[in-house]
Amino acid sequence: MSLTLSMDFQFKTSIEKLWSALTDSDKLAKWVANIHTGEPMENNFKPVVGHRFQFRTTPTEYWSGIIEGEVLIVEEPTRLSYTWESGEKHTVIWTLEDLGNGMVNLHLEQTGLSSEPALNGARFGWSKWCGELQKLLEQ
Amino acid sequence: MSEKGERRDVFDAIADPTRRRLIQLLAEAGELPLHELTPHFPMGRTAVSKHLAILKEAGLVTDRKVGRETRFRLNAAPLREVQDWAAFYGKFWSTNISHLDKMLREEEE
Repeated sequence: MSLTLSMDFQFKTSIEKLWSALTDSDKLAKWVANIHTGEPMENNFKPVVGHRFQFRTTPTEYWSGIIEGEVLIVEEPTRLSYTWESGEKHTVIWTLEDLGNGMVNLHLEQTGLSSEPALNGARFGWSKWCGELQKLLEQ
Repeated sequence: MSEKGERRDVFDAIADPTRRRLIQLLAEAGELPLHELTPHFPMGRTAVSKHLAILKEAGLVTDRKVGRETRFRLNAAPLREVQDWAAFYGKFWSTNISHLDKMLREEEE
């Protein structure tokens, strides 16, 4: 079974600035962080269709610390899509919409999420450990 | 990170290998007192006790007094959140989007 994560966020900024924040490697490094340690993730992202990139953080016992991806869609300044792979292969789609009054809506869709990561062998985060967990939760 | 009185995030609680091991030990044994848990770790009972307190804050462990000792038991229910990728990525992006918002605000200044 595959799930889609869908979220919306509003920003008081211009669509150009938001596009830049989503596509410029230096800017991405300022906001994409390892949420458990808070440390910024290094990246070599480029908004070029076909470009393969990585986001990296310190590896742990349970995760290589690497998210890989390939840029799929670049439609400046409204649509950006790439694969997002760390064990499981997901697709991330960002849609930017100018709401007027200096507000921009950012819509995120992440598709291909397994509802049972442990069973599917995904490695992101704690899934190795989740294999044991699965048994527990079934009790 | 956790405010006093606020429930601790289950993802934070299991980010530490000692706490994951504690969860496994409790899962296998059912219920254990501190002195039976401590020998499994290269640290003292005070340190293990602190880890148990964090698990308790996340709702992953409950305890009860039996005579003079306190026994710890696993409550696996909050781990369902960890199992759910959508919840994990939702948290990943919402946390990072708050960084993005901050960055954009700073650019405006």
